[in-house]
Amino acid sequence: MVRSGSFSVDSSASHRRTPSRTVTLGHIQPQAPSYRTVFCNDRDSNQPVRFKGNSISTTKYNVFTFLPKGLFEQFRRIANIYFLGISCLSMTPISPVSPITNVAPLSMVLLVSLIKEAFEDWKRFQNDMSINNSKVEILQDQQWVAIPWRKLQVGDVVKIKKDGFFPADILFLSSTNPDGICYVETANLDGETNLKIRKALERTWDYLLPEKASEFKGEIQCEQPNNSLYTFTGNLIVQKQTLPLSPDQLLLRGCSLRNTEYIVGAVVFTGHETKVMMNAMNAPSKRSTLEKKLDKLIITIFCVLVTMCLIGAIGCSIVTDREDYYLGLLQKPDWEYRNGFVIGFFTFFTLVTLFSSIIPISLYVSIEMIKFIQSTQFINRDLNMYHAETNTPASARTSNLNEELGQVEYIFSDKTGTLTRNLMEFFKCSIGGISYGCGVTEIERGIAERHGLKVQEEERSTGAIREKGFNFDDPRLMRGAWRNEPNPDLCKELFRCLAICHTVLPEGDESPEKIVYQAASPDEAALVTAAKNFGFFFYRRTPTMVYVRESHVEKMGKIQDVAYEILNVLEFNSTRKRQSVVCRFPDGRLVLYCKGADTVIFERLADGMDDIRKVTREHLEHFGSSGLRTLCLAYRDLNPETYDSWNEKFIQAKSALRDREKKLDEVNHYFLPIFFSINDLEENSRACNLINNDMKQFIISSETDAIREAEERGDQVEIARVIKEEVKKGLRKSLEEAQHSLHTVAGPKLALVIDGKCLMYALDPTLRVTLLSLSLNCTSVVCCRVSPLQKAQVTSLVRKGAKKITLSIGDGANDVSMIQAAHVGIGISGMEGMQAVMASDFAIAQFRFLTDLLLVHGRWSYLRICKVVMYFFYKNLTFTLTQFWFTFRTGFSGQRFYDDWFQSLYNVVFTALPVIVLGLFEKDVSASLSKRYPELYREGIRNSFFKWRVVAVWASSAVYQSLVCYLFVTASSFGAINSSGKIFGLWDVSTMVFTCLVIAVNVRILLMSNSITRWHYITVGGSILAWLVFAFIYCGITTPRDRNENVYFVIYVLMSTFYFYFTLLLVPIVSLLGDFIFQGVERWFFPYDYQIVQEIHRHESDASKADHLEIENELTPQEARSYAISQLPRELSKHTGFAFDSPGYESFFASQLGVYAPQKAWDVARRASMRSRPKVPKKK
Amino acid sequence: MAMTPNSASSSAAASGSADSSASRRNSKRPKYSKFTQQELPACKPILTPGWVILTFLVISVIFIPLGVVSLFASQDVVEIVDRYDNDCIPAPARANKVAYIQGDGDKSCIRNLTVPKLMKHPIYVYYQLENFYQNHRRYVKSRSDAQLRSVRDENQISACKPEDDANGQPIVPCGLIAWSLFNDTYTLTKDSQNLTGQNLTVNKNGIAWESDREHKFGKNVFPKNFQKGNLTGGGNLDVNKPLSEQEDLIVWMRTAALPTFRKLYGKIESDLQKGDVIHVNLKNNYNTYSFDGKKKLVLSTTSWLGGKNDFLGIAYLTVGGICFFLALAFTIMYLVKPRRLGDPTYLSWNRIPGGR
Repeated sequence: MVRSGSFSVDSSASHRRTPSRTVTLGHIQPQAPSYRTVFCNDRDSNQPVRFKGNSISTTKYNVFTFLPKGLFEQFRRIANIYFLGISCLSMTPISPVSPITNVAPLSMVLLVSLIKEAFEDWKRFQNDMSINNSKVEILQDQQWVAIPWRKLQVGDVVKIKKDGFFPADILFLSSTNPDGICYVETANLDGETNLKIRKALERTWDYLLPEKASEFKGEIQCEQPNNSLYTFTGNLIVQKQTLPLSPDQLLLRGCSLRNTEYIVGAVVFTGHETKVMMNAMNAPSKRSTLEKKLDKLIITIFCVLVTMCLIGAIGCSIVTDREDYYLGLLQKPDWEYRNGFVIGFFTFFTLVTLFSSIIPISLYVSIEMIKFIQSTQFINRDLNMYHAETNTPASARTSNLNEELGQVEYIFSDKTGTLTRNLMEFFKCSIGGISYGCGVTEIERGIAERHGLKVQEEERSTGAIREKGFNFDDPRLMRGAWRNEPNPDLCKELFRCLAICHTVLPEGDESPEKIVYQAASPDEAALVTAAKNFGFFFYRRTPTMVYVRESHVEKMGKIQDVAYEILNVLEFNSTRKRQSVVCRFPDGRLVLYCKGADTVIFERLADGMDDIRKVTREHLEHFGSSGLRTLCLAYRDLNPETYDSWNEKFIQAKSALRDREKKLDEVNHYFLPIFFSINDLEENSRACNLINNDMKQFIISSETDAIREAEERGDQVEIARVIKEEVKKGLRKSLEEAQHSLHTVAGPKLALVIDGKCLMYALDPTLRVTLLSLSLNCTSVVCCRVSPLQKAQVTSLVRKGAKKITLSIGDGANDVSMIQAAHVGIGISGMEGMQAVMASDFAIAQFRFLTDLLLVHGRWSYLRICKVVMYFFYKNLTFTLTQFWFTFRTGFSGQRFYDDWFQSLYNVVFTALPVIVLGLFEKDVSASLSKRYPELYREGIRNSFFKWRVVAVWASSAVYQSLVCYLFVTASSFGAINSSGKIFGLWDVSTMVFTCLVIAVNVRILLMSNSITRWHYITVGGSILAWLVFAFIYCGITTPRDRNENVYFVIYVLMSTFYFYFTLLLVPIVSLLGDFIFQGVERWFFPYDYQIVQEIHRHESDASKADHLEIENELTPQEARSYAISQLPRELSKHTGFAFDSPGYESFFASQLGVYAPQKAWDVARRASMRSRPKVPKKK
Repeated sequence: MAMTPNSASSSAAASGSADSSASRRNSKRPKYSKFTQQELPACKPILTPGWVILTFLVISVIFIPLGVVSLFASQDVVEIVDRYDNDCIPAPARANKVAYIQGDGDKSCIRNLTVPKLMKHPIYVYYQLENFYQNHRRYVKSRSDAQLRSVRDENQISACKPEDDANGQPIVPCGLIAWSLFNDTYTLTKDSQNLTGQNLTVNKNGIAWESDREHKFGKNVFPKNFQKGNLTGGGNLDVNKPLSEQEDLIVWMRTAALPTFRKLYGKIESDLQKGDVIHVNLKNNYNTYSFDGKKKLVLSTTSWLGGKNDFLGIAYLTVGGICFFLALAFTIMYLVKPRRLGDPTYLSWNRIPGGR
């Protein structure tokens, strides 16, 4: 019997406040200082306050604001502003080009963007309208009257029927269900589909029928509207009685009513003040690193532009001479030609207008389009990332970050749940120092096999029960056998705790076989299922009672139904890390049941059971190292007086309008639960260990002697100081060793393990740098037991400190902060609700899909975007440089080389489509090879395709090509160009150059593509054809307006000469020859990794992914599981559960397939479902 | 991002008729298509040494013959170039050429050219100007195409400044280009072996592109107020001839691309024998001396590819030769130090040991 009699209240707790840290998670805003008072059922009283109406508008624009606001949005892009400026410049007489040159592409770009905006906004508007006009019944003159949602006002009493949606945030008054409860589904809010209970205050239960409800005259005092979905504080004043309100009474707009005939409530917040609407803000949009680098490139281009213009301006001011009388400078001396400086000044702007095409205006629009298609068509629809079991495809929630996925250097993963898929089974337990459960976890088996031991098939006792969530077998506990164990009472309390302390809802028949448990998390369901199998069958819940059918309690074989009255529930949250329930037995006994993480439970255990404590801790470590997730349960008996005094404080804290959370936390300090027992769940999956004993480990833990001593002395300040010292010492020493071992060749891989307590001090500004440099030297870093805030801190430490691209992946609400802190956040749409997904940039169904997301989509996307950007840069530079070279031969006057329309359509028509096709279909190696050679991913991390070196190569290519196009054509067109001795004029030459340029630039796309689909041919051919067709038409018409028809008939004149065809063959080939030689030499002597991989597999035809999928599907879960386990390294480290890991990406993806990827001992997380495809090339 | 209200309404609306479509709606499995799975059939060219060498060879095989052909065409052309701007100023006046050219005196000048080779008719007479920026921004835009084409538009002179009007009357043709019309004239006589002083008629018809003549210069547009301003820029026009027949003007107004340019002056419709001497009696009227421009007279035959211009031929030959040389060099390199295709030792992670 380990029930402790002593009960010491930590008296300091009420005075000592936990140091207040400002934690900003999500978009929770500080609460407004004042309160809102709502008079129910009394529209007149509410009149003066002027609450907002219930109609909502999610549109960005209306008819009048659309143009100004939409244009304003567009002109926040610097490139558009630039072009607007240039367009204005080109209206002035200093412009060498007609305004059309710059206005046409700009308006084309704006038009496309605005149409998209308008379309999206129209859809939003239609949605709003249909919502605002849906009907709701409100109470008017003792009757239910249907009115549209938009006419609903604060204070109205409304009736919502089954499966209806709540039109506003509503205070729940009464329901047709007994006990004033109703069930709501919050899927629209947080994506969780399990039903939640809401409970009305007992005082208002009667206001159900219209006659009665119209008598209701309450006054609600509550917080101002805010966006925190899970908090609500307020009081209901009915007949001068103040009743505290909690989130339990608030029905949020967006939720729907389930399993309840109808409910009646009073409207508290309407329209845009509802919590869901206040939450409906845009997720802070992240910009990809590549895009930021792109800005730098644009700035560089701009500098080049300014330099070019300066050269031209200086040249012009020197060259211009009045003696060039034919320029008309003599007769009417314009003031602009007065002196060299003025000439230079104006020429500068003339040239800026002329060379404006160097800035790729359509670049951003094109990239946006490409990324949008990539995310909606490729990522969202990838069958490889579709999880059939849960029916979830991958989903890119933003299209901004596609290429960021190809450059991730550090992955931060939530281990629990994320890596483990959250399939929970009750597997082992330790009660009162005795370990139960004869199952062998697969990690243990794997370890044993590696040691050469043959593990015999576990012998299951006949009739062992196995169902979802329960995989436990031990004859000592089953079927009432626990009565004969040394601690039968403890066993009994354990089972009761399992059956009572939870928030599970039973559904369906009240029989053990047919009941379905609705649980917020899978471990809760597993625990209740376990209790059921131990003979404590939880079958019914009312707001105040829990009904348990207990077997074998009084004596073997006896079954009795017991009703426990639930007095208080303290729900689980991530800071408290425990959940407690106070219940009253039918015989009046008061018991507190508690379950939670081992750290928090052990802290609160009663004194004097050191031996059991020690044994239990050993068991915990053993369970932990076998890959089990652990949970500690505890209970204590309460005497009524203690309980009453606590309860009073508890209620006070609950009804406080302000700081309720904090006060509740303080109240919790009064609990000192008593040691009980331990109970395990198997993480039924590829449990992953990131550290093995080949690695040199640095462990920084709060379990050192010095700290323990300090803790025993109990002085908080002292403890903090000692921990800090220890952490400092540990970090310094580890860093020295780490740096030392880095200098030695082939030193061991490094790993760092740090626990949450130490991490708190290590993240201190003084130690942060040390921690960072140590972590960066390590292959993997495991942070145990850390809070969400710390997760985010560690992430941003690496993000900001090391300037590396980080990715966070997690599945639970506790990962939200980390997901938002990283460059790329990935949510697993698993079982722990949707909060992580809501905060994420990409959502996938399974951790293993990260491989596809990063190695395939991310890598390709990076490659594609890089190529697109480089190509844009190249094509605009080439085009503008020909113009620049020409300027040298025009006395720097800024005469345009090309016709206005040629120049304006060059970007948006003649070279627009092939590059988009490139951005969609470019593949260097196939998807399967991408996964087979994960090392290829390094090219993204090193940013191999968007370095300044690459930019320089492209720039020199542009210089070369523009020189070839310009010089070859001008040199060869001197003199007569046909047998009738005729001569070309300026526009003939420029059209010739333009034709060569369009061909060269378009064909360049084919030269740079690794994978040429028919769309490449169509668009490249189409673009060249489009130019010719345009030229035929454009050169064939005359317009009646005062316009210089320079190019009239030019193309026909050109095509009537042999010269045209000779040049057309020569110039594009010569201009592409340079790039061709470069590519040939580069591939021959300095090949990229992907090129070698291409060569290795050059004879393999790309087997259809469909085959691949089938192979994957053939893998049964058992196969997959045992395969994964067989891939795990042996594992000896002792830890007990929660961990927060940040390994290098290789740890996750080092693939067993890669023949040339060396097997590394520390590559642990093997993909279960990836199997070697047959290497024999398929022949068709 | 208004997530909930939208989905709320849509699911509310759908709930009524949901049953039939429930099973279809429930499966979110993406449909298979080659596009979404990124499996479109594609050609995956690998630039192997073999391909590189082959490409070079093919280019050289095509280019070298083309180069030879165009070089031959260019070599067939016989061309006589004579620079006269300096020589046609009498020695005493050379100190101030501008004053001479702007003066009123007789500016005749005789140039004697010897035909080096048989020149078959038609022989084209060009004038070549150098350092004359016909492509200057102020110059190029100073014209009105509408006015040239149609009488109705003769007032469209806004682009023509400063030569837009004379005493308030619109100038036709307006603008700097027309104003600065080239006005040196050449009269040719030939001394052949048996005859001296033979007149060579220079045919000035058909020297402009037909499209210009037919469409850009009106048949009923006559010069007006031309060269009536304070300054005279260049040649004058016959007010009785419509613009479409003033081919000198039409040629001049097709502005040149570069500051060194040739323009067609006329055609000689008879052969010139080797050793013939041609006397050119020219009127040196045009002022290029202000800006140090050169003037040249050119007599040239043409081939099917045009005039004498070796550039295309040389370019073809050079590129073809380079490609051949490269093909050779790559082949030797390939034989001497072959790189095995797909050699895994080239992979970066195999090259750098101990990479983290």
